[in-house]
Amino acid sequence: MHIHAYEKLWLAASILLILLLIGSVTYGAVGPGVAMVSDSEPPIDAQALDEDDRFSEPRVEQVGDNEYVAYVVAYQFGFEPSPIVVPENSTVTFYVTSRDVIHGFEVAGTNANTMVVPGEVSKITVKTDDRQEYGLICNEYCGAGHHVMEGKVNVVSQAEFDERNSGGDDA
Amino acid sequence: MSDAIEAEQSFVDKFPDEARIVRAALLSSFLALALGAIFGIIQTLHRTGVFRGIISSTDYYTSLTAHGVFLAISFTTFFLVGLFTWAVTRSLDRPLIDIRITWTWYAIMAVGMTMTGVSILAGFVPALDMSADVLFTFYAPLQAHPMFYAGLAVFIVGSWIAGADWFRTFLAWKRDHPDERIPLQTFMVLTTMAMWYIASSAVAASVLIFLLPWSLGFIDSVNPTLTRTLFWFFGHPVVYFWLMPAYLLWYTVLPKIAGGRLFSDPLARVVFVLFLLLSTPVGIHHQYLDPGIAEGFKFISMTNTMFLLLPSLLTAFTVVASVEYGARQRGGTGLLGWLTDLPWRKPEFTGMMLAGLMFAAGGFSGMVNAGMNINYMIHNTIWVPGHFHLTVGTAVALTFMAATYWIWPQISNKPVYSRAIGLFQVVVWFVGMALMSNAMHAQGIMGVPRRTAEPEYSGFDYPTMFGGFEELNVQIAIGGTLLFVSTVLFIGNLVLTMGNPKVSGLAESLPPALSGPDDAPQVLDSLRLWVGIALTLVVLAYALPLAAIINRGGLLGPGVGTYPAWIAPTLDALAAAVTPILGAVGGAASLAGVIL
Amino acid sequence: MGQNQAAHASSDDVSGEEEFDPIGTLTLIAIYFVILLLAWVYIYYIEFLGRDLVVVG
Ligand code: HEM
Ligand SMILES: [Cu+2]
Ligand SMILES: [Cu+2]
Repeated sequence: MHIHAYEKLWLAASILLILLLIGSVTYGAVGPGVAMVSDSEPPIDAQALDEDDRFSEPRVEQVGDNEYVAYVVAYQFGFEPSPIVVPENSTVTFYVTSRDVIHGFEVAGTNANTMVVPGEVSKITVKTDDRQEYGLICNEYCGAGHHVMEGKVNVVSQAEFDERNSGGDDA
Repeated sequence: MSDAIEAEQSFVDKFPDEARIVRAALLSSFLALALGAIFGIIQTLHRTGVFRGIISSTDYYTSLTAHGVFLAISFTTFFLVGLFTWAVTRSLDRPLIDIRITWTWYAIMAVGMTMTGVSILAGFVPALDMSADVLFTFYAPLQAHPMFYAGLAVFIVGSWIAGADWFRTFLAWKRDHPDERIPLQTFMVLTTMAMWYIASSAVAASVLIFLLPWSLGFIDSVNPTLTRTLFWFFGHPVVYFWLMPAYLLWYTVLPKIAGGRLFSDPLARVVFVLFLLLSTPVGIHHQYLDPGIAEGFKFISMTNTMFLLLPSLLTAFTVVASVEYGARQRGGTGLLGWLTDLPWRKPEFTGMMLAGLMFAAGGFSGMVNAGMNINYMIHNTIWVPGHFHLTVGTAVALTFMAATYWIWPQISNKPVYSRAIGLFQVVVWFVGMALMSNAMHAQGIMGVPRRTAEPEYSGFDYPTMFGGFEELNVQIAIGGTLLFVSTVLFIGNLVLTMGNPKVSGLAESLPPALSGPDDAPQVLDSLRLWVGIALTLVVLAYALPLAAIINRGGLLGPGVGTYPAWIAPTLDALAAAVTPILGAVGGAASLAGVIL
Repeated sequence: MGQNQAAHASSDDVSGEEEFDPIGTLTLIAIYFVILLLAWVYIYYIEFLGRDLVVVG
């Protein structure tokens, strides 16, 4: 088969580009350590969340030195807890599941974003920076009230976080 | 009659029966385009907050479902079947085997799409106990009325028969021409359809095994990850199903319009084979952010996806080179000066070139969509509609409209009503889409979600990045309005064209490629081999993920409900409807008994 | 029909037909390549990796 020299050149450049793209994504995974939400969590009965000790009472919990977990339930049409309050400069792992249909969990303007599928638990770990209030939105159509489904993720100072948690329920 | 004495015979002169079905298919396609555009402008004005008086925010999703299904499925597929019928007949230079079969598949597809369309539009009428507000992806456990799924299944079966029709016609040709290469256009049709059979089998299975029985109440629940995965098994290759007719036009028609000929026939074949092989084992890239699917599967899907860039990048070169050849034949000179020697006044040329240019831009956002972890940034934001309005919404749609200005006269013997309006129309589309798509990409990076009636939220404001949220909304609204105007001009021009008197002398021929099929290795034409490899790749890419998904959630899902459940209300309605009828029938029978 | 300037007889063309060198296409596509590269570097390394709440697990 006869291929023009320029076309061969372009073919080589294209393959180079493709390798560069794959290389970038790989760099993102091993350099800054970006990890994909995956099958690490076992499936869950979506209609029996109130029997699950993580999701019967959605909440934020300290689990280690500066490490926190947030158990979040998405439902038609909201998130629990609301707002989700976490301390600044900490490591937070979100466990998100749905009680009914497929939803999205997107902290607007950030990289925290995952699908929420009934029967599955999405686990994503992020590092918070300074204090800031973020919008939390459902970015997958979930029914007629989809557009009112919103929440907040509030990154607060350590002091404020401790105050909230000692004052309120310490589940 | 039209036995044009001197003039070359046009397509409709030679194949009047085939021309009629091509016209019917294209008209169905444009009906879908017109409906889709109406919903398009409604939702554009609604979600940008410019005007929310036409529909309520809950009906927004009915509109969006209609827009997605009519445009992404109906408009594209009907155009494809029309174009492919034309391409097979023209390139084999023989009629289809049996035109009654051809009308049969057309009718089946039309019935299927009507069923689905009615079930969607019924959602606007509260009095009707029917809706399908599930968007064109119909993710369970959201449930549509059974007629929605049934219609889709019927529609797909129709397209399968269409493919068989072209295959049989090809085989008949092959018997008469045992030693000839498959003509390029037919080759493109056959590879596309081979891909379509593989791809659509998954969604057909999903609908027939799970969704339809579930909506009829035969099974209680489905596994949302499984049906979602089966959808995307189909959902990625379907974008190539939209694109390949456009590629067929770029490869075989555009060079001729430019005044030249295709640069390389063998490379065109390679590109279509690559699409056949790589289109399907990539669908998991739509599920990068799904829980319940291992990261390794996502990575494999990404590498396949990245290599799928290759045929498109090669196409960019071959098509532009063919156009350059045309320009130089027309006397074009210089490194880039030849660009001025192209027939920019022809709507079919300018339309396809602008479509190609937008596809190049869409190539960039597509690379981002493919890039696994960067998906965290743009997944389900309006960046994604920004992307595919460049690809299917322009590269495909604008190419189809532009090609119509070229092809319609040949299948009807009627000259285009106004080529000037045609030229204006394609440029307006380009400008409108540039505005709308650009602003959608920008909003997407800010985190603005897609698929929502009211993207402004009470609790927070979006960060200002490439212009504020409101400013970009205005851009989207202006762009969407231009797109709508362009569609109206297109449809109007076509309707007026149909009113034109018939003339002769509208035939167009297609020149052979610069590097012809004889330069292509014979193996390229062995479809069996390529289908075999394609199937192998699909099994490799999907066997383990599907097994893992079924293993986790079971075939019918881990305790997932149904929202809303259709069958109970349907049964009630049926009972309510049947009781008086039975009563009437019973009454009539006893009456008859009395009389007799 | 004007003879195109870039065409010349190619050395390895067995068929003996003259070959056409799409130098304009090569130029255009090289420009495209550079745009793609720059845009990718910007969006991946600056826009994406520079955001808050990078998912690390
Ligand atoms: C009149 C021109 C058009 C306008 C004004 C328009 C406008 C829009 C807008 C604003 C959205 C986003 C809605 C949302 O996510 O909330 C959208 C979605 C969409 N558009 Fe278009 N569009 C047009 C033409 C097209 C064409 C020609 C196609 C395909 C051939 C197309 C296919 C789609 C699809 C598949 C969606 C996604 C639906 C979904 O998310 O379920 N559109 N359109
Ligand atoms: Cu939602
Ligand atoms: Cu895809």
